Amino acid sequence: MTTLFISDLHLEIGRPDITRAFSQFIKEEALNADALYILGDLFEVWIGDDLNNTFTMQILSLLNEVSSAGIPVFLMNGNRDFLIGDVFCKAARCTLLPDPSLITINNELILLCHGDHLCTEDRDYMKFRDMVRGQPWQSQFLGKSIEERLRIASNLREGSQAKKQETNTDIQDVNHSEIIPFMEKFGVRTLIHGHTHRPATHQFEIKNKPAVRIVLGDWFGQISVLRINNGNYNLESTPFN
Amino acid sequence: MSIIKVALSTNHGKIVLELDDEKAPESVKNFISYVESGHYEGTIFHRVIDGFMIQGGGFDIDMNQKDVQDPIKNEANNEWKNQIGTIAMARTSDPHSATAQFFINTADNEFLNHTSESDQGWGYTVFGEVCTGIEVVNKIGKIETGTTDGHKDVPTEPVIIEGAKVVE
Repeated sequence: MTTLFISDLHLEIGRPDITRAFSQFIKEEALNADALYILGDLFEVWIGDDLNNTFTMQILSLLNEVSSAGIPVFLMNGNRDFLIGDVFCKAARCTLLPDPSLITINNELILLCHGDHLCTEDRDYMKFRDMVRGQPWQSQFLGKSIEERLRIASNLREGSQAKKQETNTDIQDVNHSEIIPFMEKFGVRTLIHGHTHRPATHQFEIKNKPAVRIVLGDWFGQISVLRINNGNYNLESTPFN
Repeated sequence: MSIIKVALSTNHGKIVLELDDEKAPESVKNFISYVESGHYEGTIFHRVIDGFMIQGGGFDIDMNQKDVQDPIKNEANNEWKNQIGTIAMARTSDPHSATAQFFINTADNEFLNHTSESDQGWGYTVFGEVCTGIEVVNKIGKIETGTTDGHKDVPTEPVIIEGAKVVE
């Protein structure tokens, strides 16, 4: 049986094609899996668990379909949906995973993270990350009305788009010098993350032993999945129909 | 009966295991049934990681996966630890998914032990230990490995289980 890893779907109302692909993936694949791991940025934006609309209910019901079939669903916050909390996870019957998290599959210790905290060369982002992941900012933000939160989120996204255009793209990849110390700290030889939208399997050595870093792809035009089945790792992207 | 001995003959020498069917009744019964059906003959240790464990019992020499029986329930809550020389059932991310594949620990792998009855806390069921032939296990554990058909840590020269039988 297969364990599935996805990230960076960036689901939003304005992209029904991604929602359709996700729905298809849930029905055709996730419902036959051992477990589903979503490593951040399931949503393009998440302003709090109290925003209920047809779109969020649709996604919630898809996740619920998997968990109700007895297949565990694990969700990690990303840099876009870091405000997904216990209320949403309880409703979706999925487990919110801390970032980073250690899991075992096939008796192999695997380190999971979204990946944004490894982009340490983007100093402005790291500062922003520290702020928005902190309790004071979150309490203040969640205390605002839904309309106001939507407006702030929209401003933040516009700022982020503008910054992306003026920043060297290299900066938004992970800082490779961070990888080995990060993996050594947790005693792992396998790291899985998303965020950079640069799907790849990187093989290298840690203290003369083989190690691997698997980067999940985004879903902007394709279904991007890592499947682990009986020790076999298969990272694949399939364009939308 | 609580201790059952099983001998695995490999192309690197013989490994004798003592299985405890009081501590892990379902896992021992399951393993013995694969031994007696001849399932393990011709399978390989397909995943070998120095300083961690050697895993086998699921693939033939051409890396074809062998058919298995229904999965068994996890018994890692017997609190038997994954220590050097113990044998445990391999599984997927579902705690109750072990079938034929097993592994022999070549280190004290604390992270594989039972901590709670949750998906990530169940751990891996230890159901026996090596009584003779630990040097064979250690030798296999240091063998050269590479990647084959998407599988990592596969020995470059096959480590074959030529026979498996209950010895007493």
